[in-house]
Amino acid sequence: MEQVIANGLYLGAQYALVALGLTLIFGLMNVLNFAHGQMYVLGGFITYVVYGQLGLPFVVAVLASGVTLAVVGGLMERYLFRTVIKRSHREESTMLLAAATAFFFDAVILLVFGEKQRGVPKIVKGVFNDFGVILPYDRIVVGLVAAVLILGFIAFMKFTKPGRAMRALAQDRTAAQLMGVEVDRYTMIGFALGAMLAGVTGGLLVSITGVNSGIGGPISIKAFMMIMIGGAGVVSGAIAGGFILGMMESVGLTVLREYGDVTYLVIFAALMIFLSIRPNGLMGKPWG
Amino acid sequence: MSTILDIKGLTKRFGGLTAVNNVSFSVREREILSLIGPNGAGKSTLFKLVSSFLRPTAGEVLFKGERISSLAPHIVARKGVVRTFQETTIFRNMTVRDNVIVAHHLRAKATLLGYFLGTTDARRDVAAFGSSADEILGFLGLDAISGEIARNLPHGHLRALGIAIGLATNPSVLLLDEPFAGMNHDETMKAVAMVRKLRERGLTVLLVEHDMPAVMKISDRVVVLNFGEKIAEGTPAEIQNDRKVIEAYLGVEDEAIGL
Amino acid sequence: MIRKLLGLLFFLAAVFILLPLFIEVTGRKDLYYVMTSVALLSIASAGVWLTFYIGRINIGQGAYALMGGYVSAILVMSYSWSFWLTLPIAGLFCAGVSILIGMPILRLRGVYFAMVTLVLTEVARLLALALPITNGAKGITSIPLPGSISIFGVTLVPDFVQVENPRIAFYYVAVVLMVVCYAGMYRLVNSRMGHLCMSLQQNEELASSIGVNIAWLRVVAYSISSFCGGVSGAVFVAATQSIYPSSFTVTDSVNFMLNCFLGGLGYVFGPMLGTLVLYLGWNLLFSTGQFQLLIYSAVMIILMLVLPNGLLSLGSWRRKG
Repeated sequence: MEQVIANGLYLGAQYALVALGLTLIFGLMNVLNFAHGQMYVLGGFITYVVYGQLGLPFVVAVLASGVTLAVVGGLMERYLFRTVIKRSHREESTMLLAAATAFFFDAVILLVFGEKQRGVPKIVKGVFNDFGVILPYDRIVVGLVAAVLILGFIAFMKFTKPGRAMRALAQDRTAAQLMGVEVDRYTMIGFALGAMLAGVTGGLLVSITGVNSGIGGPISIKAFMMIMIGGAGVVSGAIAGGFILGMMESVGLTVLREYGDVTYLVIFAALMIFLSIRPNGLMGKPWG
Repeated sequence: MSTILDIKGLTKRFGGLTAVNNVSFSVREREILSLIGPNGAGKSTLFKLVSSFLRPTAGEVLFKGERISSLAPHIVARKGVVRTFQETTIFRNMTVRDNVIVAHHLRAKATLLGYFLGTTDARRDVAAFGSSADEILGFLGLDAISGEIARNLPHGHLRALGIAIGLATNPSVLLLDEPFAGMNHDETMKAVAMVRKLRERGLTVLLVEHDMPAVMKISDRVVVLNFGEKIAEGTPAEIQNDRKVIEAYLGVEDEAIGL
Repeated sequence: MIRKLLGLLFFLAAVFILLPLFIEVTGRKDLYYVMTSVALLSIASAGVWLTFYIGRINIGQGAYALMGGYVSAILVMSYSWSFWLTLPIAGLFCAGVSILIGMPILRLRGVYFAMVTLVLTEVARLLALALPITNGAKGITSIPLPGSISIFGVTLVPDFVQVENPRIAFYYVAVVLMVVCYAGMYRLVNSRMGHLCMSLQQNEELASSIGVNIAWLRVVAYSISSFCGGVSGAVFVAATQSIYPSSFTVTDSVNFMLNCFLGGLGYVFGPMLGTLVLYLGWNLLFSTGQFQLLIYSAVMIILMLVLPNGLLSLGSWRRKG
């Protein structure tokens, strides 16, 4: 039981970090970023190269992942999404753009890094084994770092000027504009920040699960589920969604182990029922 | 004149907040009754309760003696109680005429399959809807712009289009949501004349409104809400001299001018 | 009116006479399979388009294509039904399921609906893996070709086993179904049902205030959409003579949606054009090998930047200018 909870918390922390980035982008511009999982994968590969191949410190590698993705995200917003949002009759059009970008990243990742599963040396050795919990130390480290990053993100959104500007934007774009928030600038910063979170998470987790070019899509879907559980566009919702999904997976994989993929079937079905009862997730704004 | 709409003890609570508290009044056939009150008095909530877009916590709305509260909005519309919305709620990407034509839904004799197959009934309907839409647009002075895409219309026309959509359903009672909001004096006078003409068509009109002069000019009777409760009901002359009403409004005005 | 009629005649001539002629002359028999796929996928896309038309982003069509395929395959294999009989049954089965699923989930809007339908595709795949009747990951294979249809001794459709090239036969089946589907869709959109769907797309509250039973209309539109998905899936399975849980996946669901976007959400024939361009484009790029996905997605991004309202918006743009 303790083991299940520990696994759930560890999964939840990393999931929440992925969901945060996605929900930030969604909240700011109503774009569902299909390429989020690919950004995660890209972050993973960058850390793989910097830490695993070049032998630089892990921290530097993760930072490199974050910075690269932030730049990529900023450019995507500036030159792709902004244009399409301005010119399209229907805001759903951004979905096609996002999907196309996801394919594009998939292709680039495949060309540059190949299709092999890649891993890196462990960052910390040893296994924690006490209180009925067995958990490798590196997982604990990554889980804690993820938790710290989540807290840092919340603090950033609450106490800094860009953070407040972005919250105002997410709440009411027109009102924020009237209040003098530079909409274009902060939308771009928000997109970059969301992409950065995906990249950092990818970089952190490459040390545990490794990375391969095919996992972008499935990760996007998981992230979608998390923000739907919590409510799209809401920071607290993304965190809650991440931890809930983490727990559900942890419990499901333990209880339903013999039945293989049935865990996901149950989770998916539960999600559909949950959403038809609470159409906006746990704490979503209406009709996101 | 007989009663057409009977509002009995309507109450609506959102969580701990009571937006409408035990409000009762009745609307007589072919009268123009206005619902007024300071901001936050619960007018909009009451309006949504009457049109069944909200379910009451307690109380009921009777239309010709039949309970309509807690029925789905489209069923209430079918019975003959139809609401309009504030101006932005129109079918934005259709032409003005198509807006009105599509609103003839309740008058359709043919089924959807009939329309698909193009049966005689369906063709007759289509022709009838077209001419009826033209008649309504002419009646409201919108005939000149019937081919425009609705999202391009100026404010005043949007309001009229909203009423045209409501009229197309052939209602007995039309509920108007702030029909004069944001209009200048001339526009308001035109709109007042328009609402009067609605009554001449045989309609009963219940409206929610801020604009006091317009309300006093147009209404047969006025119901005043404050803090979710009915504080007065009577003819415009009676309301204008009602001490409670004056207090309610003075209080708000004091705040508004910062005293 | 005459222009429309001429356009229709030209289109029919192109798909029934010119294209087969072209294939015979050039000897590229493989194109039959390609064009069959385009026709079938465009039927499923037409369904997705209809859900777009009521203002819902549907990324779940893969689930219904898979479901339709399995219904047909199981009926043919386990119960020895004629394929032709299973075709409408597959469509109706999907429509029925979509009514049950649609009633709760169609209350969702925007990304919530989109995501739930996306999840639905995964649910369908996992169900196909888990249920005993679908034979798990091994799928159902060696499905017999469709038999003949004859009424009062007159053979309308010959037995596919005896046809010289079943691929040509499937091509005609797919194209006939596509023409029927799009003719129906065109009629639907231009009849009252289409106007009501449009009113839903623009404003659901207002639609209900004029007496439209929005919940019912949504479910009807969604079930028609799923019917298209089921029929398309069933023919696909017959043409490939096999079905696996991975026959239609999330990627397919996303592609159906992309077909609609690319063609243009405001045009009935948008999804047909979108499917043609995307599918052919993908196949043409096959020779570029490892760069296939890169070029494909890059072109898609550029198209999106240049024509964010779909390929068909090019025509209306020119007319306005």
